[in-house]
Amino acid sequence: MVELSTLSKYSFLNASKNYVKDNGLSVEELLDDPLYERARTTGIERLDNAFNNRDAGNRSLATESDCIMELLSYPIARMIAVCIEDVYFKRRYALGEAVHAYKNLINEPTSFLFDISKEFNLDVKYSGDTNKIRIYFVDYLRNAPTRYKEWKMINRGLKNGYIQISHRDLARIIQEALRTRINEELDSKSCNKAIYKTFSSDIKRIQNIVLIHRKNIEAAPIGKLDITKLPPCMKTILASIQAGENVPHMGRFALVSFLNSLKLNSNEILKLFSSAPDFEEERTRYQIEHIAGRTSSTSYTPPGCEKMRTYGICPVDKTDDLCKKKRHPLSYYKAKWSQEKNKK
Amino acid sequence: MENFITSKESLEFLKDAFRKYYENNKIELPDRFGRREFAFVFFGGKGMMRHIGFEKKIHLTNFLKEKSPCHTYYSSAYYQMPDAATMQEKNWMGAELIFDLDSDHIPEAEKLGYVEQLKIVKKEFYKLVDDFLLNDFGFDKKYIELYFSGGRGYHCHVKNPKILSLDSNERREIVDYITGRDLKDSLVFHEQVTGTKRYRGRSYPSGKTLKMPTPDEPGWQGRISKGIIEIVNEIKKSEDPIEKLKEYGVKQTDAKKLLEDLSEERVTRIKEGRLDQSKTIRKFFLNSALRKTAVSMSAGETDEPVTCDIKRLIRLPGSLHGKTGFKVEKIALDKLHDFDPLEDVVVLSDDLVKVELKQPFNIKMKGEEFNLGSGEQELPAYLAVFLIGRKMANII
Ligand code: SF4
Repeated sequence: MVELSTLSKYSFLNASKNYVKDNGLSVEELLDDPLYERARTTGIERLDNAFNNRDAGNRSLATESDCIMELLSYPIARMIAVCIEDVYFKRRYALGEAVHAYKNLINEPTSFLFDISKEFNLDVKYSGDTNKIRIYFVDYLRNAPTRYKEWKMINRGLKNGYIQISHRDLARIIQEALRTRINEELDSKSCNKAIYKTFSSDIKRIQNIVLIHRKNIEAAPIGKLDITKLPPCMKTILASIQAGENVPHMGRFALVSFLNSLKLNSNEILKLFSSAPDFEEERTRYQIEHIAGRTSSTSYTPPGCEKMRTYGICPVDKTDDLCKKKRHPLSYYKAKWSQEKNKK
Repeated sequence: MENFITSKESLEFLKDAFRKYYENNKIELPDRFGRREFAFVFFGGKGMMRHIGFEKKIHLTNFLKEKSPCHTYYSSAYYQMPDAATMQEKNWMGAELIFDLDSDHIPEAEKLGYVEQLKIVKKEFYKLVDDFLLNDFGFDKKYIELYFSGGRGYHCHVKNPKILSLDSNERREIVDYITGRDLKDSLVFHEQVTGTKRYRGRSYPSGKTLKMPTPDEPGWQGRISKGIIEIVNEIKKSEDPIEKLKEYGVKQTDAKKLLEDLSEERVTRIKEGRLDQSKTIRKFFLNSALRKTAVSMSAGETDEPVTCDIKRLIRLPGSLHGKTGFKVEKIALDKLHDFDPLEDVVVLSDDLVKVELKQPFNIKMKGEEFNLGSGEQELPAYLAVFLIGRKMANII
């Protein structure tokens, strides 16, 4: 039996979920019973902390009641996050919970991390005698922040499919697996009406904050780039990145190489990405500089319309007349400029 | 080669030769056949016909007989709806991991003949399979398939079920690993304190040496060390070390200096794993060892290595390559060493045909030496197809 304090620290564990289930708590009780008032306020606190500080935050777990409230605040926070109905917010919340878990995990014994990695179906090998941790490279690739140079697989010892990692590395990998899991869970659920009613004032308050935050991002000008002249594809990719949607690599690649061809420098491009909820400066900078050819010898050329279509990142429903005449997003952008000049 | 135009008659001849082949030979079809997208390029046609799906095998074999395409491809990916027009509608389900080793991208390969080019690619291929796929990645042999591309290279397909769902980002990591990109030297070499001084009760390092990993360390650490030791041995044993260094791209003057620096004592130290050499020596060894042990790989349309492309089209095994007339053939791993395309995949007939050859040309095919002058020649069909395909001859 896992201790209650552990369950409340890691409320995402199956054992934690079972605890709530086994105690027969209903959603109604959680929402109405004065006994759980503190769990409800803590739930809101988790959301605010995650959005503002990128960490759901620590609270005292001294008493049994502390622990129970903390444990229950997690499902409450998640249900509210769904009701905020904003991708950007959801991503940021998931990150805040994952980072929070990471900060606790690094202080746990490795055997504990090993058990958790099993819950995430990570193929990890750990021997208590040698204290060596190894992870199958596929699970490593899925979860490790390989945009950092020291995380790149080439800078790790790979043998027979397994990579040796440290305790801290494993905690970081679990953080990422947790983030992905929360994102998926939040995306697959829809808002529960009872939740919305109970928390409507907080939900509206948070929605407002998110709105203001978004406006600030979108209004910021970027160098010499005229966003209104971007072709539909680039507009769409940019909007998704800023909204915190999961943009596939090819999309990021297309946008960065496109902006690079327009002579935007890394800092300017970085600024565009900086509003993404899971933005990590160093990691993104590395990625940008890689594509722009500043850290490697090759600079990639942006893909043309044909290639964009094959990759499903040309938004067919949003293309316009100019698109029909052009075969490359760059020539679209340039044509927009000359159109304007001709008008004058 | 630039202004050579393949005549209409030649195209007809090629098509006819291909048709005969498809009529008389059975094509083995890829697994998950119904989930693959097929694509074709036709003789004299413009562009590629894409997004074709076949429900039954017989439909595909009939198609090949009827249309006798110049190039036949299928997707490394499998889809819910392979014949849908857009990738979104197709609904991607997974893709094999593909490595495309072609002589196109190997520096200097242009200047070499066809046979030499293939030899270089073969060497790269051994590195890929033995050092990386089997050793580092630990793939089981049964998941590794190897094909001759019909052109100037080899393809390797990895079919381990665990890797089918990797996205292109994750595949890029694999490519970076295999091609040796972004290796951080501070992670390979580490400083080791060789002595300490005590001062006011605290100890400070008094000497440092740069420690190289032992050759049996996993991954790139061991690989780089092995490479460095091999290079040192090569240089020391060579009768003309300066020449050897020049092969590694070192300039004459630098080579002399490097060699002077590389005293017996230093060599011993390197072999013991101490790389406390001058900066130039260190850089030279690191770069050379990297190039020697990494695999060079072909890039796709946007300079992306093809392995990252999770929607890539590849030649259908058993089909013919339109520029050579060679068959795209599966090769067992242990047969690669002796594989010779000019013997083993020449499948077209040897009926004699007359061609006009643009320039003199020598080649050995199917065990026969051909030393051809320019002008009119009577040649077996398989050679005629090869020459026409390479834009060196026309039918007359
Ligand atoms: S047609 Fe080209 S420019 Fe227009 S949206 Fe599609 S990819 Fe972009």
